[in-house]
Amino acid sequence: MAEGRRTIIGAKKPKFCINDHRDLLVEIMKRLDARSLGVAACVCRLWCSITRNDALWEHLCFRHALSPPSGVRTVVVALGGYKRLYMVCVEPVLSRLGTVKIGLDGDSGGGGTDGDSEVVRRVWRRYGTQLSLSLFSVDYYERLGARPDDSSASSLTFLCEPVNLGRC
Amino acid sequence: MKREHQESGRKYPLTGGEGCSSKGKMRDEGRGDGSMDEELAVLGYQVKSSDMADVAEKLVQLDMAMGTVQEDGISHLSCDTIHYNPSDISCWLESMLYELNPCQTSDPNSSFSSIQSPILGQHPQSSIFSSAKQSQFYEDNSEYDLRAIPGIAACKSSGPTPDFQIEGSFKRLKYDSGQISTLPVKSEATDGSVPEPARPLVLVDSQEAGVRLVHTLMACAEAVQNDNLQIADALVKRISLLAVSQAGAMQKVATYFAEGLARRIYKIYPQKSSIDSSYSDILQMHFYETCPYLKFAHFTANQAILEAFAGAAKVHVIDFSMKQGTQWPALLQALALRPGGPPTFRLTEIGPPQPDNPDALQQVGWKLTQFADAIGVEFHYQFVCESLADLEPSMLDIRPGADETVAVNSVFELHRLLAQPGAIEKVLSTVKAIRPKIVTIVEQEANHNGPVFLDRFNEALHYYSTLFDSLEGFALTQSNSKDLVMSEVFLGRQICNIVACEGSERVERHEALAQWRARMESAGFEPVHLGSNAFKQASILLALLSGGDGYRVEETNGCLMLGWHTRPLIATSAWRQAA
Repeated sequence: MAEGRRTIIGAKKPKFCINDHRDLLVEIMKRLDARSLGVAACVCRLWCSITRNDALWEHLCFRHALSPPSGVRTVVVALGGYKRLYMVCVEPVLSRLGTVKIGLDGDSGGGGTDGDSEVVRRVWRRYGTQLSLSLFSVDYYERLGARPDDSSASSLTFLCEPVNLGRC
Repeated sequence: MKREHQESGRKYPLTGGEGCSSKGKMRDEGRGDGSMDEELAVLGYQVKSSDMADVAEKLVQLDMAMGTVQEDGISHLSCDTIHYNPSDISCWLESMLYELNPCQTSDPNSSFSSIQSPILGQHPQSSIFSSAKQSQFYEDNSEYDLRAIPGIAACKSSGPTPDFQIEGSFKRLKYDSGQISTLPVKSEATDGSVPEPARPLVLVDSQEAGVRLVHTLMACAEAVQNDNLQIADALVKRISLLAVSQAGAMQKVATYFAEGLARRIYKIYPQKSSIDSSYSDILQMHFYETCPYLKFAHFTANQAILEAFAGAAKVHVIDFSMKQGTQWPALLQALALRPGGPPTFRLTEIGPPQPDNPDALQQVGWKLTQFADAIGVEFHYQFVCESLADLEPSMLDIRPGADETVAVNSVFELHRLLAQPGAIEKVLSTVKAIRPKIVTIVEQEANHNGPVFLDRFNEALHYYSTLFDSLEGFALTQSNSKDLVMSEVFLGRQICNIVACEGSERVERHEALAQWRARMESAGFEPVHLGSNAFKQASILLALLSGGDGYRVEETNGCLMLGWHTRPLIATSAWRQAA
């Protein structure tokens, strides 16, 4: 007891607690990648509620692409939200950016991996939004007809190993 | 190999193992004893040191001969080497030289047969083939003769043998990712005096068995075409045995083709059952989920329609394909996000009545309406429950005064109309009467509608082998193997239809893009170029596939083709009325 009081009396500066500064927290989280956001969600209830905010995921989705046209937000929210868009469509694509060679100019073997991934990034920046939105629409449409517990029907499993979209 | 040669002076440019051997030869020319050259023996070649100069000279001759023969004629040599026992180089060289320049000898047949004996050592001179008794025609390359397949009923040893004719030339199949090999066949009818005994095959590995399997399939089809049903029957059984030894794509393809052939031989045609249509819908759904062909088709067609609808306030899409309607969510979403807001969207689906699921078209409409509601697009749906061949413009509720832009879409449907004479012309004239802004057509890129059964069979064998090869990539990555199996069943039904059925039953009458182009142009349509946007989207889509490294998107004359390695499999084209 005595030690505790001594510590409190001796401390002049209040300890900095990040949880008191929510806007700072959000700014920091905007710069994280998806996996870190998932980890952050497990820290405490406050952090969990912040990471569930769709705006963060919107930022994540379009970090590597051109800013989307207006009106995208209503559509995406209607189709399931940015978090789902990211998990189902954007993340598998981005994780493959480095390993993929696209034969866009009829020349898929030239350059070397750096040049290729740069091309891929550029192309993704232009067309990726369109493509991921299309795939997202198909995903929503398929879920319309399926029962809630039926997770087998998904035409997007071609993108990667089955994604576990458990609530986190 | 060749580069190595060029460095060493490019004296003996040979393919395969001979490369190393000739370098060795150059070094060892000094040795004069009669024993086998040691260095070559290590590599597996048996050449007497005393023969070295002779062999070297023959290699030069062979090189010159190969250079002068047309390309078409020498690719078979790379397969033949297995059979000619290349360990014994000097005899092998002689036989190659004679094969390339048969005119050098007075009687090619006799010298050919005399060459064979030293190569093969002793072999049983079968009494079947004692010359001059029967007028039978043999192929020149006897490896590709059925007798090379041991124990087969085609080589009946007792009783009156049927006049076994192998006529016509077999088509050349391209070498494709190591699973199906090249089979060139020169069928020159030679008079029956060539005794060609059963040749023991030197190497039997899975590629070898694959070659035999393909050859047996083609021989069986040939027998069916010539109505030699006994032989065909024996061959079909042989195919099933051979197929078991294969793995992966080759086995599945062979099994489906064997089933088709068996049905054709025994005249057991697959009956149309009442659950057929919904079953095939389910299969197609799994096919959609597994592999990119349908997705490619939908995305490219949607892009063309989207561009045609630019600036229109009211749009109307007439869809011949139905099938769960998975094409339309992406189009609706793209229209919702276009600058200027979404148009009023009307969709008309046309599909044949399905007795087991009468509400199918209605259910698709409900789902699409729900979807359009969610994203805020005004959506109207109607369906026409008629088979496509019975379509009339009056059924489609065209409103000419309403200033609507119309698009017609057909994904893998038009080829079925070719089964009924006159149907395709009727449908195309109906389409013209609608006056659409754009007509999108996606079809398989293959000609499975030729008049000759054997040609169709060979084309289909090549096409579906490539298709199954491309699916193999997914087998490695996808844990959901049920989808894969269903896709294969889906394709298997197509194979069965092409091989076993005839007349109006045979609905899988695929035709190549060039043929569709001719047909559309004679009906009064002109092509619309699919833009680079579609091309790039398709390329990214394919690049995203795990296990899909072999897919290629190509653009030819404004049409997009999706292919596996070098073989195009699906073609998307867009048309509008010619001015």
